Amino acid sequence: MSTPHGINFGEAPARTRVDQLRRTLGRRTEGRAVALLAVVLVVALVMEPLVFSAYPVTLSRVALVGLVALGLTVVILMGELDLSVASTVVLAGVMMAQTDNVALGVLLALGTGVAVGLVNAFFVVKVGINSFIATLGMLFVLKGLAIVISRSEPIPLENITFAIQFGLPIVGPLTPRIVIFVLAFVLLHLFLTRMRAGREFYAVGGNRQAARDAGIPVDRRLVTGFVMCSVIAAGAGAIDTLERTAADPTAGSTVLLSSFAAAIIGGVALTGGRGSILGTLIGAFSLGTLEVGLTLTGVQVDIQQIYIGGVLLLAVMTDPASLRAARSSLRTSLHGVRARSTDRGLT
Amino acid sequence: MRSTRTAAAVMTLLFAASALSACGSDSASSASGDGTKVYALLPQGTDQPYGTEYLKAMNAEAEKEGLDLTITNSQYDADKQASDCQVAVAAKPDLIILWPAVADTVRPCLERAKAAGIPVTVTNSDVKEEDKSLTAGYSGPDTYGQGAASAEIMCELADGKDINILQVEGLTGNTTAINRKAGFEETIDENCPNVKIIASQPGDWNKDDSQTVTSEMLTAAGAKNIQGIYAADDTMVAGAIDALKSQGLDVKKMLITSIGNTKLGNPLVVNGELDGTVFQSSAWDGQNAVTLAAKVLDGEEVDEDLFMPSVKVTEANASDAEVTPNW
Amino acid sequence: MNQLAESPTVAAPTAAEPRADGPSIAAKALLWAAERGIVVFTVVLILASVLFVDGFASAVNVADVFHRAAPIGIVAVGMTFVVISGNYLDLSVVAQVATGAVILIGVSNSHSIPIAILVALAVSVVYGLVNGVAVGYFKANAVIVTLSTTYIGLGLLRWLSGGSIFFGPRDGTIESFGDIKLGAVPISAIVLVVVALVLGFLLSRTNFGFVVRAFGSNKEATRLSGVNTPVVVLGAFLITSFAATIAGFVLAAYSNTAVSSMSDGYDFGALAAIIIGGTSVFGGKGSVLRTVLGVVFVSVLTNVLVLSGVGFGWQQVAIGSLIVLAVSVDALARKVSKK
Repeated sequence: MSTPHGINFGEAPARTRVDQLRRTLGRRTEGRAVALLAVVLVVALVMEPLVFSAYPVTLSRVALVGLVALGLTVVILMGELDLSVASTVVLAGVMMAQTDNVALGVLLALGTGVAVGLVNAFFVVKVGINSFIATLGMLFVLKGLAIVISRSEPIPLENITFAIQFGLPIVGPLTPRIVIFVLAFVLLHLFLTRMRAGREFYAVGGNRQAARDAGIPVDRRLVTGFVMCSVIAAGAGAIDTLERTAADPTAGSTVLLSSFAAAIIGGVALTGGRGSILGTLIGAFSLGTLEVGLTLTGVQVDIQQIYIGGVLLLAVMTDPASLRAARSSLRTSLHGVRARSTDRGLT
Repeated sequence: MRSTRTAAAVMTLLFAASALSACGSDSASSASGDGTKVYALLPQGTDQPYGTEYLKAMNAEAEKEGLDLTITNSQYDADKQASDCQVAVAAKPDLIILWPAVADTVRPCLERAKAAGIPVTVTNSDVKEEDKSLTAGYSGPDTYGQGAASAEIMCELADGKDINILQVEGLTGNTTAINRKAGFEETIDENCPNVKIIASQPGDWNKDDSQTVTSEMLTAAGAKNIQGIYAADDTMVAGAIDALKSQGLDVKKMLITSIGNTKLGNPLVVNGELDGTVFQSSAWDGQNAVTLAAKVLDGEEVDEDLFMPSVKVTEANASDAEVTPNW
Repeated sequence: MNQLAESPTVAAPTAAEPRADGPSIAAKALLWAAERGIVVFTVVLILASVLFVDGFASAVNVADVFHRAAPIGIVAVGMTFVVISGNYLDLSVVAQVATGAVILIGVSNSHSIPIAILVALAVSVVYGLVNGVAVGYFKANAVIVTLSTTYIGLGLLRWLSGGSIFFGPRDGTIESFGDIKLGAVPISAIVLVVVALVLGFLLSRTNFGFVVRAFGSNKEATRLSGVNTPVVVLGAFLITSFAATIAGFVLAAYSNTAVSSMSDGYDFGALAAIIIGGTSVFGGKGSVLRTVLGVVFVSVLTNVLVLSGVGFGWQQVAIGSLIVLAVSVDALARKVSKK
């Protein structure tokens, strides 16, 4: 697998294979996610083998958590954020239910995604507002619109037989949701690692000025990224709406934070330029499997929450980089105590 | 460098070990109830006061019936509940108890359970009419009927006079909130068009939110133009009453109704500030969810919905034993 | 603190054709307005509301606006420290406010109010320590850390408290405290003002505040200048926790009830107020006063929309649009002034 990290600065040739391997691994960003996934899988294998024997169920939970996260990753890699994804999911679903025709409905949903992406990109690229703020505003606006359009009530789909069909397996035990999720992963992975435009996303997120100087059309890449993210969220909204046979203006309450969690656990840096779609996939797998496993244990829901929080917290704190940071912080703190006695201290 | 890696590995393993041991003890305890396995898919639990008391009653009854309960809480996220339902079906329990997060969305879950031969009983808020054939029975309140009953109290109080009232709704988009609102508004329209709802805002089932929106609606409409208030539950009506008081209005002259008869609402009925409410017992609800499930498991045919009696509670009967509030 | 550099991560305005004559008077005016945008917006909104919305200026309604502003305002004022220190936000305020409220009423029912306050403050220190150590010392991502502590905190709260709704005794000390008013100003607003004054002083007049802002605008330079930066981050999270717990007290006293779901939405609600106030989400720039204005603005707006009978959906649309609008003016002004 190639390492998708912007420009390669021509490293010295590796002396041995082990060296080379170590170097390659050192550049990967998915380490934390792999470790977490390993722990989750081992625990699940021992405690709740049903997680594996009923793998289509686990996969569909992963797809539920993960699809939006894949799109979000594209935006985060460019050093931007999209807080409006959950509201996009909801609004796209509501738009989809405005027509009796499923195909037209899906088009309406995806069209909503394109429009949202363009609006987000407009504020970020043309007006020059920080994406965190622009999409925070959109979070409220889109949610409000979904409530207004739906009159705050669920809208059942007209073609309920098709909708129910959509929730059933098509390829072996896999439902359309899982197939679409896998396709989206493969396409995004190829786009970000094999295509020039995709690789340039890393440069846009890593060092924007350098990317401009290198002649990369930064603005156009930003627009592409925001639209991709919103369209994927809208697609997820359409899938959700079909699977539950109705649009629900209050849906998606957990989407935003769980997709962020998947991406960040997967090693995608919020500052941009570092991370991969593969990492997000592994992050989503860890979270999805953890949730399904915990449900199956039948532990009280509050305690499940404590577990999920604990696992997330430990995962971010035991990252090698975090441990290094902790050691050096501690060292500075100790030095700081000495320095402070002479220097002006903190109040 | 190496030492940090090692440290990371050790911590991870330690955590894994602790997780293992913790899970181990939990599943050991649940395995001991070797009886019948039942999944309860709920949209609330200890995150809401109603769900908290519901769970207590449900667990107690399950213990009595010897059922091994696995409970989920989707926090009103219909997609999460749909996924919980898949997990439940995969676990092949003997029965699933479903409290729909959003009634319009549970058909696929019911179909999936049916295909796997798992009976589903419904609790707290019913599925849609056309989906009823897929379920083995319903127990719980008639949420539309509760709104209607509260409206009937309001109509009686208004006694044919033209009055204006405010409505405090539940959480936006919530099924119970939608049903109660429909029940209240439609009954008012039909039985006493002399009562006019001139403003309506969500109070999100919270006392403080309700207090603020009520006060604001009073300001907007002019307090002297308002003769009554309906709130979709007792917690919110308590907030509305506080809002009236802090504007210096005479609460006892106002016509005030709600739904719940909770530990917060019942004393207000007793002291005459709340004119009427409709009893909804969370304990009845949780207990009968399991009772119904046990009947179905015993092979009993359940033909009729098991409705929680919608007892109207007014000053006359508020101190009676059968309407003792439980949450 | 204008000498503090703008955060470099803020998207650079697209290159515009340079003009020889420098910023025009109109551009300067726009820039002036943008710098003080939130003040202008708030004043205009309040004036318009006084003129055009019946009942807005009544004493009762002023108290309602304060009720809307106070609890979330106290949270936002505290969270301003985390935002300015360049750590995005503290999602766990949702859990912290609820914990503060439930402990205040739950423990004071079973023990006494002073014990309840002590327990709640001790818990808030734990929150601040866990968040602050993880983010400051371990350099872990603040969004995930505070998301984790939200899960853990709400899980523990519901598990230990049993999830019930808690009422204070009728006409007890807590309820009486919540009912205190100075004219039209309820006690909750007075607490907000006191917390804002103290934290405003801390942020703008003390060494600690200076370091928080410096760290937010340039982490590396601050570290190299010998500042113990992890402690700064820890301090920011401790202040946020402290403020969130006070907000929990205020919220509980207002309604004399506490339940673990009462602060849903406070995370992004507080963040929205901070951003509308003009504090940069990437750290360095901002002030407590700006946050207070942001909270007042959102509260007045919501109040006016409810008074006008506007539904919940449109309220959300209006708030979202204003977030974007407020920041757009700022961004455009900056662009124009650079031409």
